[in-house]
Amino acid sequence: MNDESALIDGLRQRDPQAFTTFFETYADRVYRLAYSIVSNESDAEEAVQATFISALEAIDRFEHHARLGTWLYRIAYNHALMILRRRRPEESLPDEDDALPMPSALADWSTLPEDRLLSREAQAILRKAIAGLPTTLRAAFVCRDIEGLSTADCAQIIGISEGALKVRLHRARLILRERISEYFGEWVTPGNG
Amino acid sequence: MTCEELIAHLSSYIDHEMDAALVAEVQEHIAHCRNCRVVLDTTQRLIVLVHDEGQRIIPAGQRSALFERLHQAFLNRPQTSDDSAV
Repeated sequence: MNDESALIDGLRQRDPQAFTTFFETYADRVYRLAYSIVSNESDAEEAVQATFISALEAIDRFEHHARLGTWLYRIAYNHALMILRRRRPEESLPDEDDALPMPSALADWSTLPEDRLLSREAQAILRKAIAGLPTTLRAAFVCRDIEGLSTADCAQIIGISEGALKVRLHRARLILRERISEYFGEWVTPGNG
Repeated sequence: MTCEELIAHLSSYIDHEMDAALVAEVQEHIAHCRNCRVVLDTTQRLIVLVHDEGQRIIPAGQRSALFERLHQAFLNRPQTSDDSAV
């Protein structure tokens, strides 16, 4: 029996230690995924609470061929989306059949020093740019590039095909690169870019 | 390979999901195209930078309150029919 099987059995048997392990392992990860969708702390907390309650209610029916983390993220993604739709019912989804825009911000900021790119100002720019992505693209980007989950896991969590996940991720990266290049490009000395 | 084709394949290249022949075409293109090389380099740098965003955690006060609420909900969970049959 592996650790995950033992954890699931513990949760089914109402072992308090299993709950602690479950919460400590996944609460922050679920929070980050939810935050990336809803973009504020209180809604992200609500999503975490709803996710864990749903998961604990359904743990007896959890099937071992699925991975616990992927299953939990999928529940979290759906709760976060529900909260978002309650807050912003008017948001329209991007049309993924549109032609990809060609990059136009072409300053080479990739060689700027680390302390510049990791400065508080740079991080704020980055967070704002991520928050400004359309929800569907943001979810794909956060899942793959921030949480570092696999394409297959992210596709399963979001409930789309791997091909669609790759399209969304690619669009998200290009849009983000364009937006942050507009800021970071100003920091590149002419002649170095 | 044109610039448009390179941009379309950029993520596949970055994620190592591209076959060797296409990889060679990308590398040949960026050796001669400054703009595409910049787009590739800055996109890769972006992906490295955002890993820091992965450090966000639940604020401490809310975290302990959330733990307590969920812990109680866990302990008070109703028995399922399978459990009650044991």
